[in-house]
Amino acid sequence: MDDWVAELRGGRPEAAWDLCLARYRRLIFSAIRHYAQDYDDVMDIFARVCEALRADDLRRLRCYVDQPDHRARFSTWLVTVVRHLTVDWFRHRDGRRRLSTVAARLPPLQRRIFEHVFLDRRSHVEAYELIRANGTSGLTFGEFLVELRATYAVVIDGRRGRVLRELAGPPPPLPPPEAADDGEPAERRELVQQLLGSLSAQDRVALELHIVEELPAEQIARVLGLPNAKAVYNRVHRALAVLRARLAQGGLQRHDV
Amino acid sequence: MPDPDPLDALRDALGATPAPEARTPDCLDDDTVAALAAGTIDAAARVHALSHLATCPRCRHAVASVARALADPAVAREVAVAERGGRRLRYGVALSAAAGVLLLLVGPRLLDLGRPVHRAPPPTGAVPVPASPVGVVADADTLRWVAVPGADRYRVTLFDAPGAVLYETQLADTVAVLPDSLVLVPGRPYLWKVEARTGWDRWSPSELVEFSLAPLRGAPQ
Ligand SMILES: [Zn+2]
Repeated sequence: MDDWVAELRGGRPEAAWDLCLARYRRLIFSAIRHYAQDYDDVMDIFARVCEALRADDLRRLRCYVDQPDHRARFSTWLVTVVRHLTVDWFRHRDGRRRLSTVAARLPPLQRRIFEHVFLDRRSHVEAYELIRANGTSGLTFGEFLVELRATYAVVIDGRRGRVLRELAGPPPPLPPPEAADDGEPAERRELVQQLLGSLSAQDRVALELHIVEELPAEQIARVLGLPNAKAVYNRVHRALAVLRARLAQGGLQRHDV
Repeated sequence: MPDPDPLDALRDALGATPAPEARTPDCLDDDTVAALAAGTIDAAARVHALSHLATCPRCRHAVASVARALADPAVAREVAVAERGGRRLRYGVALSAAAGVLLLLVGPRLLDLGRPVHRAPPPTGAVPVPASPVGVVADADTLRWVAVPGADRYRVTLFDAPGAVLYETQLADTVAVLPDSLVLVPGRPYLWKVEARTGWDRWSPSELVEFSLAPLRGAPQ
């Protein structure tokens, strides 16, 4: 048993914390730095992580240690906890204030998009509706998407780019066909959502991780329990072929009506 | 009007899902998110977790995010060091010449910030080694591997070539007998691996090995 776990089980949280921190300090820092590159951000988040882990006599650590069985190793569990704490820090008071300095450099429309999507975590469609309802009623969804993409490009390229991508989710898809402003895309989107619902959970997750999250195939293999990247590509291509075929069918049926 | 490529429609539809939302009661706990991202989750728990991931953009995003973090070389290095109990490998390689001299004078302890103050060395990075079946074999009703000192449990997984899990079990022994219900087709490739539990929170995986049953010749018997 690890020394810090023995101290924790022996009811000595202070000693347990010292040992735990000595062993995992560098891992905690590396996980924070994966998301945040600004020195001041990193130091503030580290303080926040320590505070959260130490709260209530190491309650989080005790809960983890007391679990009868573990699915993850402690080190990977810790990376997960640090990731959540980091993202939360940016969503709240101090982190939010730091991020709002990013907005100051943007033109007015992009600044509003930034606030809705990155700070208030609105979906792209919600952000569009909000902006239209507040004095920009002439803005088409196609024009909005162009501005949205430009906003992503600027802020994700910057010093806080990685965490901003965490906060806002994946960037918008590539430019849609010209028909973006009529009713069709919404209809098609609904059809695609239905078709996705008909896939197996493993196929659907494979597609989403590949297309939306743009996760490398090797990492998708680990998540899905597939032996290698090739198995992921096979699965994704097969699922896409099925969707394409069904989408083409669905499209035909709609035009026939 | 030009007919849009269905793949564009798919990207459009997938990308239009709402940004990560608030946690629901069904959302995955940190242990499960971590185990999915690291690939250490067992097959039954994975099936359950994937059915949630299929419909929850929030958890999907969290798993993808942690998977990316774990693949970051700086994080992976620190995970590996932590798994070895804080002992760093190859001190000299990463150090400047001056630091190397200092190291000779004071020993590694002062330079090694991640090292715990006192602890017994944990089992070193020993991994189980699959013994049989490997390659083309006459039969394969059992999976055998070489024991890892200190391991108290093993988890064995058998896949077909496309990667579906055919069989998984946990046991203390180093031999797993495949159930009769599992029919392996001669000539078809299969893959298997075994993980050894070497610490209270730690599974060490073997390499993934491939085998196939020798094709049948003529009529049986
Ligand atoms: Zn969820």
